[in-house]
Amino acid sequence: MNRLWTVLSGLGFAVAAMMPWVTFALNDGNYPAKSTLQFFDAPFLLTGFRLHLLVIGLLVVLFTFLPLPGRPRILRAAGWAGGLISLVNGAYITFKGGGLGAITAADGKVAFAAFVGVAAGALLIWSGAKAAPGIEFSWPERPSRWLAYLALLVSFAGLLLFVAAILTSGGGITNPYSAGQFMSFLAMAAGLIAALGATGVLRWIGELSEQHRYFSLLVMLGCALGLPFTSAGNEYWMTVAVNIGVYAATAIGLNIVVGLAGLLDLGYVAFMGIGAFVAANLSGAAAAAFDIHLPFIFAAIAAALVAGVFGAIVGSPTLRVRGDYLAIVTMAFGEIFVRSSQNNIGGLTGGSNAIPGIPPLELFGTGFQESISIGGYKLAGGVLYYVLIVLLVALVMGVFANLKDSRIGRAWIAIREDEDAARAMGIQTGRAKILAFLIGATLAGLAGAVFAHKTSSVSYESFRFTESVTLLAAVILGGMGTIPGAVLGASLLFVLPETLREFQDYRLMLFGLALVLIMRFRPQGLVADRHRRAELTTVDDPVEVAAR
Amino acid sequence: MSELLEVRGLSVAYGAIEAVRDVSFTVHAGQIVSLIGSNGAGKTTILRTISGLLRPKAGEILFQGTPIHALPAHTVLGMGIAQCPEGRRLFARMTVEENLQLGAYVRRDDGIQADIDKVYDLFPVLGERRHNKAGLFSGGEQQMLAIGRALMCKPRLLMLDEPSMGLSPIMTQRIFDTVAELRDLGTTVLLVEQNALAALALSDQAYVIDLGRTTLHGTGHELLADSRVRAAYLGEEVA
Repeated sequence: MNRLWTVLSGLGFAVAAMMPWVTFALNDGNYPAKSTLQFFDAPFLLTGFRLHLLVIGLLVVLFTFLPLPGRPRILRAAGWAGGLISLVNGAYITFKGGGLGAITAADGKVAFAAFVGVAAGALLIWSGAKAAPGIEFSWPERPSRWLAYLALLVSFAGLLLFVAAILTSGGGITNPYSAGQFMSFLAMAAGLIAALGATGVLRWIGELSEQHRYFSLLVMLGCALGLPFTSAGNEYWMTVAVNIGVYAATAIGLNIVVGLAGLLDLGYVAFMGIGAFVAANLSGAAAAAFDIHLPFIFAAIAAALVAGVFGAIVGSPTLRVRGDYLAIVTMAFGEIFVRSSQNNIGGLTGGSNAIPGIPPLELFGTGFQESISIGGYKLAGGVLYYVLIVLLVALVMGVFANLKDSRIGRAWIAIREDEDAARAMGIQTGRAKILAFLIGATLAGLAGAVFAHKTSSVSYESFRFTESVTLLAAVILGGMGTIPGAVLGASLLFVLPETLREFQDYRLMLFGLALVLIMRFRPQGLVADRHRRAELTTVDDPVEVAAR
Repeated sequence: MSELLEVRGLSVAYGAIEAVRDVSFTVHAGQIVSLIGSNGAGKTTILRTISGLLRPKAGEILFQGTPIHALPAHTVLGMGIAQCPEGRRLFARMTVEENLQLGAYVRRDDGIQADIDKVYDLFPVLGERRHNKAGLFSGGEQQMLAIGRALMCKPRLLMLDEPSMGLSPIMTQRIFDTVAELRDLGTTVLLVEQNALAALALSDQAYVIDLGRTTLHGTGHELLADSRVRAAYLGEEVA
């Protein structure tokens, strides 16, 4: 009986995909071309349909009879994906087009058909949960080396293409419907991830990458460097990716302070600003305070060192103040930095004129902003910056991973858990806390140096309180204390504003809403750290249950 | 019998409030020495001062003849004085094994894993649940882990602050049996307790602390027989 409902909802998706409403948005822009098939001729002409909605529908029918492992969760994931796609598209036509009775913005027919998809999604979420569980299947625990390598290669390459597809799914900023297309693609992506998670394959890949750590790091690095060769390899996305990389590196640094040592820093972006201004002043910009042009490597080191010294200075109150009070001290520091650089203190920051004209980086006479070609394959401009930032993020990740598993890393985690007990264990808490601030600030300063050269102009406006909060949100959203979490968080917070430009006015409101929802339903963040997970999942914890 | 720890004329103040006044006592190697007294008598303050977490206003603390009252906490710990703090203060969200590893934080030798196994021999229940979170354990098991964690730095002097706190009489007895066992294995113990009966029965030497001063001193059995002690701490009528 239950099968009937799941089949019905699968057919519902297929039918919804065929209805005229879906032609909206698909007739414009370059993404639709990929998802458009012409099936029928007049008078049954359908110029296009949401290919992925149809695919989901057919797969649901197939999965109903295929005893896959984790079947109920897969079906539910499909339900959410199909339902959300229909909802996004239906809402889009309704609000952007001519109301409920519109197919396109230009003319008016029926967008009601979108409700078929929404209803099918709801039905599937309800009935999928009750589907018979599929066969028991366990992924091989210790597969042979070559099988593991193959699985890792395939999954990371898949991940690369997946990321590229997500980035380009809106069809770029020229497409007026990009936000809607991006969101419906995101719905499908979320459903796909949930379905893969249900089969246990994600956990398996995760374990494999733990077992073959160096190999997977190498593959990951290779895949990251492969992004310029995918559909996202144009100058626009390279620029966005460099910005993400700068903030990801900074977020990983912040993760040391907040995630490992548990010290709340609300002025952290100031260290990135210090790094950027130091690099700007030492790199031969016309408005710079010093008339010297250091090679990038030295400018970057100077930026990191100066930022680190300020980190230690700002960290020193941690010896006396804790918790909320420390947060206020760091916030005050951030504000002091913004005000002084706005007032061009010591002529070092250019004030409201900023420091413009920072020369782009060069390597063997090739500017980093120029496009290069490798073996006849022409790569977009800014690729070299992208390569640089990927290497920088890899370096920062390496620093973080080594610190986390080190003696000082254990000391930080102990301080986070119970500072007094940590002292009783002989941990020099004051020194450890200042060191956390110092290292975090050094990494941020390094990222700031790249930022200065990439944007070619450094202004205090890039380092205000909002940026500190966004970074903190990236760390919390992604998952405190983890590397993938910080990177994922930074990517989300800096990609979404690009692809959802249309909703710019609501950006902060949506961020706030997303954070509230994450904190309520997944407090450990999107990528959970083992300790944090233990700390925040309370359902099976008898101590917590007893305390309620 | 050598003097391991000597406290002379110790006074400790929190701002203007003097919590410990002119306290002196001696801990001989291989003994269990108890400081007993009611709530607020200053016992925990004395232990925290010995550990280097508080600074004395006056007086000195000698460990094997070396003054330690001006040394930072990690140096004191490195010299072989471990404290098992009041309320246990475990890292509740870490596993048993991680707690024990942190107990050995000041050590840099490679015998740490072997010592963790020794703790598991001493408290088999910890070994069985080494990968469980410490916060999930019962009070008695948590106290075992707290003692085990303090032992991980191979202390010459183990200071236990209220190990019986919140424990059932049976569990208290088990903990105290373990303390006696530790002494027999060669660890000197400085015990702070409100549970005077159990502590005195176990102690080689004991001091009664009242309002920040030492008022009585003797062997455990002498004090158990002392009518003033019986009246004040064991709830008996004065004969």
